[in-house]
Amino acid sequence: MSATETDERSWTAGLRRRAVTALPPEKLLPDQQPSYVASWIYVFGVLSLSALVVIITSGSILALKGPAWWHLTGIGHFFNSVHLWSVEIFFFVMVIHLWGKYWMAAWRGGRARVWITGAVTFLVAIPCALTGYVSQQNFDAQWISTQAKDAMNAVGIGAFFNLLDFGQMYSWHVLLLPAAVVGIVIAHVLLVRKHGVVPPFKLPDASPTEDVSP
Amino acid sequence: MPAAIFNLNHPAHYVHWHFVQISVSNVIVIVLMLIVFAAAILAPFPGRGGSS
Repeated sequence: MSATETDERSWTAGLRRRAVTALPPEKLLPDQQPSYVASWIYVFGVLSLSALVVIITSGSILALKGPAWWHLTGIGHFFNSVHLWSVEIFFFVMVIHLWGKYWMAAWRGGRARVWITGAVTFLVAIPCALTGYVSQQNFDAQWISTQAKDAMNAVGIGAFFNLLDFGQMYSWHVLLLPAAVVGIVIAHVLLVRKHGVVPPFKLPDASPTEDVSP
Repeated sequence: MPAAIFNLNHPAHYVHWHFVQISVSNVIVIVLMLIVFAAAILAPFPGRGGSS
């Protein structure tokens, strides 16, 4: 058996072929975009990604230092605030991104999975934020957890998702839900790269244009 | 600890209209999002020509 035949039959070679076919380098990291992408409404997806990077970075620092640090030191207060406000900005710009894509009908042209992964990211980010509020280790967290537990019990998931169980909520907040958000966001971005940015609706008398801008 | 810009030492203010009940702070954030959304659509993007 030659080396070439071994390559052809190995699962790594097969996976590589599929990956390069789906996302060739010029599609994965393009240096040009269609002219219609030059609009502020397209900026909010990138702003969401930027806020997510700040969230993960500040959250990692908080996880390393612990509750006494983020409650009782000046620098701890600073990173606690950075984490909170990056989450607020994340939801703010993500909702505007969602509104923009909804009114553009961004699922057109075989982009259903792009739209679905974006919507699922928003839905998964909500419990990710909720578990953060109940992981603060203060009276605010106690108040939120005792109020929100009723909603969980009402929909029948209180036994599996117990807001009064700090250890469980902290695990969801620092590992499971952030990993889910980041994983779905990576899939979302790769799907956008694969299918391209959704074009605007064509005007009735518009001629097709192929112009691109760097 | 420095004081907050706003006095936060009171229960939140709420807007209550029929079955709708929402805090004033949430109303402000939603209105801000609508303003930024409209601005993102209407504001010219720097470096883009006016012809296309």
